[in-house]
Amino acid sequence: MRHLLLAAALLLPACQNRPAGVDRLRLQLDWVPEPEFGGIYAALERGFFREERLEVEVVKGGAGVATPQLVASGQVELGVMAAEQLLAARARGGPLVAVFAAFQTNPLAVMVHAGHPARSLEEVWRGTGPVAVEPGQSFVRFLSRRYGTTPRLVPYQGALATFQADPGLAQQCFVSAEPVQMELSGVPVRVFTVAEGGFDPYNGVVATSERVLSERGDAVRRFVRALRRGWEAYLAEPAAYNPAIARLNPAMPLEAMNLAATRLRPLVESAATRRSGLGAMEARRWEELSAQLVELGVLSRPADVGRLFVNP
Amino acid sequence: MRRALATLGPPLAVVAAALLAWQGAVSVLRPPEYLVPGPIAITRAFLDDAGRLTSAMLRTGLAAAAGFALAALAGVTLGSLLAASRFLRRGVYPLASLLQMVPLVALAPILVIWFGYGGRATVASAALVALFPVLANTLDGLRSVDPGLLEMFDLYRASRSDRFWKLGLPWATPAIVTGLRVAAGLAVIGAVVGEFVSGFAGERAPLGIVILAALREARTDLVFAAVGLSAAVGFLLFGAVSAGGWLALRRWHASASRP
Repeated sequence: MRHLLLAAALLLPACQNRPAGVDRLRLQLDWVPEPEFGGIYAALERGFFREERLEVEVVKGGAGVATPQLVASGQVELGVMAAEQLLAARARGGPLVAVFAAFQTNPLAVMVHAGHPARSLEEVWRGTGPVAVEPGQSFVRFLSRRYGTTPRLVPYQGALATFQADPGLAQQCFVSAEPVQMELSGVPVRVFTVAEGGFDPYNGVVATSERVLSERGDAVRRFVRALRRGWEAYLAEPAAYNPAIARLNPAMPLEAMNLAATRLRPLVESAATRRSGLGAMEARRWEELSAQLVELGVLSRPADVGRLFVNP
Repeated sequence: MRRALATLGPPLAVVAAALLAWQGAVSVLRPPEYLVPGPIAITRAFLDDAGRLTSAMLRTGLAAAAGFALAALAGVTLGSLLAASRFLRRGVYPLASLLQMVPLVALAPILVIWFGYGGRATVASAALVALFPVLANTLDGLRSVDPGLLEMFDLYRASRSDRFWKLGLPWATPAIVTGLRVAAGLAVIGAVVGEFVSGFAGERAPLGIVILAALREARTDLVFAAVGLSAAVGFLLFGAVSAGGWLALRRWHASASRP
């Protein structure tokens, strides 16, 4: 009898009335829920994943979460990351494939207080004040090489209290997130984008592993289809979905999310997406990044661009 | 010589066997580099970057040692004060014990706001986690003085200061040394966690920052090399404390004179 109960207990989770043919996918975010993931949450809210017979579990991230490694090792099926992280992981034997690039223009930027003396990214870099960045960000290497100098770099962990308290501090940000929050808290800032500084890889890239793509390719294709509809819905009416994101991230007020959404539209749309749909990628962009990373010493040789992304 | 071999032999043999087994497993199973690097790959990662890693280790080591020294000084002083006063003991000890329950990771960003970026916040973080074991052991040591000896000091009408310097402190020394040993390892952990939020990146990066940067670039070999070095810092600090404790105790206390 006890054995029967045990068997029943073990089998129960397996047959929790999940309709036949539903694929379960886990999606690891690389940051806390914010409008930068708007399309994902819109697809969840509108049931686009469900319509594609997918059960998608979105896992929150934060500073330092190793999304590429989690996807490559199979802990999750899909993960959001910066394009350069995907290349670095591939170079170290992590077989990742990009399937969707939410940000066609790199949203990474450096913000300073309005009273800060710097008037450009170059002046920030040549200045004497500290710059808070996530350790290991490739754009830091890029700018240091470009301007021939490295500022005083300190770690950015996602908390804005340090920036608010220090008028001399410059810090990494997404144009659609931290600056918006600062403005709404009455802290005027200036923002210099890294893309203008010459480093413009895809960001918010959704990647899977070669293994998942070959074994569950159809589920991945359905996922991308639903995600694209999600982003279309989000860009059309972000305010309809931001409350759902705000519930998951009490640190960013709803008002900030609504403002942020207006700023990210030009970064999500591009000539390529108008041609081939949101999230679509082009080989030349990956080639450019690969060449930049080789020059910076992050990669020892150019990446095999033909294999590292698909537009499913 | 034979004694040195008897002491060092067993741990060295275990370490060597573990490294061999690890490298053997990696050579046979060939897991991808980003997942599990072998000892050889880790050593190579260290050698490729030896200059930067050594200075990172030095920076982390100095911060941990400074934090440890502060914790040792404050811990013994506070422990002595608490032992001397029942009011302080009742009032302060529960608060002090909170120190070890506060998650350091949550507190570290506040330390940056208080002390600024760089070494000072790292030292504060190291001191913060290392303080409690020293304090608690000092207090315990001072409170467990043999009552017979206390009576004898009473008999000779010894002064309060004689009682502390000639009876209490020597009696408590073995306990204090134990507290210091625990604190030595914790100080290194505290320093690395402090560096996660306060360390300078780039050329002046300490081990905590090297670890974060390597993780983002999927350089697991470099992560392991840096983690190995931070363990080495802990080991050195622990060794120094143990040696100091032995020097202080060898002439009279059983814990140091028995093999």
